[in-house]
Amino acid sequence: MSNEELDSQLSAMFDDELPATECELLARRLARDEQLRGRWGRYAAIGACIRGEHGVRLSAPLASKVSAALTQEAAARAAPATDRRKPGITWVTSLAGLATAAAVAAIAILWIRAQGPVLVAQSQSQSGPVPNLAAQTRMAPSTPVTATPPGAEPSAGQVAAALTRPRPSREPDSYVVPLAVPQGPALVPPTELANYIVAHSVYSGPLMRRNALSALVGEDAAAPQVITLQPIDATVVTGK
Amino acid sequence: MTADASDLSLVQRVQHGDRGAFDVLVLKYQHKVVKLVMRYVRNPAEAEDIAQDAFIKAYRALPQFRGDSAFYTWLYRIAINTAKNAVVARDRNPVDFDLDMTNNEESYEMQGRLKDSETPEALVLTDEIRTTVNAAIANLPDDLRTAIVLRELEGLSYEEIAATMDCPVGTVRSRIFRAREAIDSRLREVFEGGLGRAEEIG
Repeated sequence: MSNEELDSQLSAMFDDELPATECELLARRLARDEQLRGRWGRYAAIGACIRGEHGVRLSAPLASKVSAALTQEAAARAAPATDRRKPGITWVTSLAGLATAAAVAAIAILWIRAQGPVLVAQSQSQSGPVPNLAAQTRMAPSTPVTATPPGAEPSAGQVAAALTRPRPSREPDSYVVPLAVPQGPALVPPTELANYIVAHSVYSGPLMRRNALSALVGEDAAAPQVITLQPIDATVVTGK
Repeated sequence: MTADASDLSLVQRVQHGDRGAFDVLVLKYQHKVVKLVMRYVRNPAEAEDIAQDAFIKAYRALPQFRGDSAFYTWLYRIAINTAKNAVVARDRNPVDFDLDMTNNEESYEMQGRLKDSETPEALVLTDEIRTTVNAAIANLPDDLRTAIVLRELEGLSYEEIAATMDCPVGTVRSRIFRAREAIDSRLREVFEGGLGRAEEIG
């Protein structure tokens, strides 16, 4: 088919005057042939010019926009389709992860069971007997406190000495020195902090006050350092 | 010969997944659709946006097109509905411009200016195209000019033109083709060579 014959057919097709069988063949070619499509577009522009239509352009911005929008839409549709193909892989991956987690858990349980009696024995030997807290509650913070090694129970002599030691008459009863307290660096000198807490203890609850002082005294025991509390009004400290 | 056979063959290709065939349909009807939408909106840029929406809707609905009516009749209805809906939506949600203007008239005028995407260059180019086409038509032999004008301006079929010009249908087809070729070659001559706007030829 010569080019002129093809262009003549194109012109007739543009006017809906080409037989259907020829249309089918030419439509196939039109959809693929960029040059032929350009000619088709110019035929449309010529007709629009003759009819005096608005905004005639030889390029086809609207056609390009429509094409771009449809391509974008198709891509957006294709993305979920790709994701839909993934569930098989995702399912296998998650199953493998689950199996790994189960195997690790089973190994851990078996190991703990095998090591169980040994671990219990070790923990008992490290912690030692439960200290007699009732005996310690009478210890005053103003007494020089020496650090007690963790796990060692205070001797009966120490406790008795602490109990029989004369206490300042205005000393509140609530200062408790635990045997083992968490040790960490003090940001504020303990004496000043103790003074501050005691002086302001009227504003705090008895439990908070007790905990703060216990921590301070315990820290001093580890130092070791003597805390000298400022003489203050016991009624204010205890709130009585 | 079936009326609308060319559109139908293109539609069938689109229905079989050939996107290029839809581009051909858009190229053919874009000017008509924009002109149609311009009856509802005055702004050319807005009309183009609505026309674009109409074509996208048509593409989505094309699998349901049975060919009971002509493709353009079907597209025409979609374009009209899209334009009406766009006008209703625009009236419900007028565009807010964050401009510090107390004068409503001034604000309205500014909206029009901001929306108008018709640059002076585009307007000049459209005028150049129109001038070139008109000059090319004026230079055509009488029989070619009459044939193309009866077809494009009056919308007559080849048979009707043949009856009017008292000649066979084949001759009409040939005359219209030759008229188009003459105008097209003049356009390419001006825009590809003379003005260096090859990209405008598409």
